[in-house]
Amino acid sequence: MTLPSWWLIGWRNLGRNPRRTFITALGLAAGYFAVIFMIGFADGLKVEMIENGTGLMTGQIQIHSPRYRPDRSLYETIGSRAGADFEAVIRTALQDPAVVAAAPRVYGAGLLSSGQSTRGGMLMGIDLDREPGVSRLGNSLSQGRAPTPAANELLIGTEMARRLELQVGDEVILVAPAADGSMGNDIFRVCGLYRTGMAELDGAFALVPIRSLQRLLALDPGRIHEIAVSTTDPWLAPEAGRRLAAELAPLGVELEVLDWTGLRPEMLEYALLMGSWYSIVVIIVFAIALFGVANTMLMSTFERRREFSVMLALGARPHQILLTVISEATALGWISLVLGVAVTFPLIAWWHQYPIDLSWIYGDLTMLGALIRPVLRIEYNFPMSVWTGLALLLTAVTAGLYPAARAAWMPPADTLSGL
Amino acid sequence: MGNPALRTEAVWKVFHQEAEEVRAVRGVTLTIQPGEFVVLAGPSGSGKTTLLNLIGGLTRPTDGRVWVDGLELTRMGSRELARMRLEKLGFIFQSYNLLPVLSALENAEFPLLLRGMEREQRERRVRELFQRTGLAGLEHRRPGKLSGGQQQRVAVIRAVVGEPALVLADEPTANLDSAASDILLTVMEELNRDLGTTFIFATHDSRLMERSRRLIHLVDGQIVSDQWQESRREQ
Ligand SMILES: Nc1ncnc2c1ncn2[C@@H]1O[C@H](COP(=O)(O)OP(=O)(O)O)[C@@H](O)[C@H]1O
Ligand SMILES: [Mg+2]
Repeated sequence: MTLPSWWLIGWRNLGRNPRRTFITALGLAAGYFAVIFMIGFADGLKVEMIENGTGLMTGQIQIHSPRYRPDRSLYETIGSRAGADFEAVIRTALQDPAVVAAAPRVYGAGLLSSGQSTRGGMLMGIDLDREPGVSRLGNSLSQGRAPTPAANELLIGTEMARRLELQVGDEVILVAPAADGSMGNDIFRVCGLYRTGMAELDGAFALVPIRSLQRLLALDPGRIHEIAVSTTDPWLAPEAGRRLAAELAPLGVELEVLDWTGLRPEMLEYALLMGSWYSIVVIIVFAIALFGVANTMLMSTFERRREFSVMLALGARPHQILLTVISEATALGWISLVLGVAVTFPLIAWWHQYPIDLSWIYGDLTMLGALIRPVLRIEYNFPMSVWTGLALLLTAVTAGLYPAARAAWMPPADTLSGL
Repeated sequence: MGNPALRTEAVWKVFHQEAEEVRAVRGVTLTIQPGEFVVLAGPSGSGKTTLLNLIGGLTRPTDGRVWVDGLELTRMGSRELARMRLEKLGFIFQSYNLLPVLSALENAEFPLLLRGMEREQRERRVRELFQRTGLAGLEHRRPGKLSGGQQQRVAVIRAVVGEPALVLADEPTANLDSAASDILLTVMEELNRDLGTTFIFATHDSRLMERSRRLIHLVDGQIVSDQWQESRREQ
């Protein structure tokens, strides 16, 4: 007998108990839905973490002098003590298709004193026009206003303001070791407070106009420590970083280009861990589904054992019986898959478009040192959708195997006697 | 001289049920020539079904030997037995046993399908038999939409369509009323006459016994009489 005939019998058998077929298919479809949703959530969480972890402050790519990290020495500016034409570096970087923005930064460590108390802090010099292109630091203003470029004004985090008992408009004295070996000190005015939600930042960093900080630290305008770069997609950063290193080489400046996977390896590890999680989720969900489907198939083949006996009596071979039952299971798998896809994707598309905001429950969440918006965000994962679909079909076929084997090797006379 | 359609030699079948021993068939020796129409009569429990299962290769005898069309079943493996059933035997069951998901036509051509015959050839043969048995026009109905008598006629076509050496019918009229039984028997007799199909027809219906030419009586698993009689077929 040709294959299509066995297939046809299997397919028609599904129509004999449409309710049971539908319920079984619904179960498998629900499994598919569950897997795709869990993966979508995990992906959403991952993307959220990476976007936030890189977007808050780090940026997706950083460019330094090769000797800057990990000590972050004040002297190791790009182009060494002489400095370099960092604007040329920025211009070149911006020509890369994956690069969205780039901004220069200067760092110093110092003491901040209000009248009441003194605390150590990180001083971060930012270009007020360009910084918003690479991080959200400058957008986190919670009180007051942004500093005027080159003025002795700064933003401090709400946490530091609390500790130093400072308010907008108050004066603060900055003291910091400068590049010329002296102690830089000057009076700055707190023009505003920022709040990111991460205590490590809000309690430690003061944001100062880059030119003002360079003055305090006795750095020439051409000397900066870092160029932060943002890319269109965090996942494009590693490749863009390698490209940038090559594109920047002709400038003749010693540079180290690092993307976030090198800057924040723990985030990459987390992302990779998620990947192995997926297969476990798929296996668990479909293992459960497997028993459900196998049970149904067992029931429906048991009810039909007389038909199988008749087919065997007429001269059919056991493997042909096997084929009809497997065809039936495969057809069931396809129905389930179509059902699953039809339900899952519109929902995912909708959810992706309108993530559910849970900030009213959770406030700020941090994870691996990254701030996460408390939203249930869903990402598409096309390859996983395909793999999950294949897993579903495999589950249906596997579930059919045992009942099929039982049906195929039934002794015909036993079931036929007394018919 | 060709092979007999069937030969059995001292065939025994003993079932072991718990501590009890059931001797369902006790030393049956029998020869049936091609073209015969044999009625196997006997009360319920006399071993008719068991004997037919032994002949059909569905059960293995406890002792003795069975040949169908000269081939010894008792020496065959399960694969050979399946092939032998497909090529040499036709089965008609008491409860029709058509496959419910197949149409009447598909059911009837099932053995030809199993043999891998071309669709056109299959359909030509089956349609001709539908015509001959008064089933024309019902080809595309599912068994559930046919009367018992019609279903059993489809089963008869399924049994004879592959031109087997022997057709085994186990009480095929037991579920039919007398009118449908008469039609079925007539159909089978005509097929026997026109196509030369060999039938063994098990029944305990005395009316049908009267219509047969060779009547074998089975009691307690043994043949107690094997007689040729003038057929009283009403035409
Ligand atoms: N599979 C079996 N196991 C045990 N006993 C059986 C089995 N099949 C038939 N028998 C017994 O064998 C005897 C003959 O049965 P059967 O061949 O069905 O008779 P008939 O078809 O003439 O009514 C009965 O006593 C029956 O109970
Ligand atoms: Mg019987």
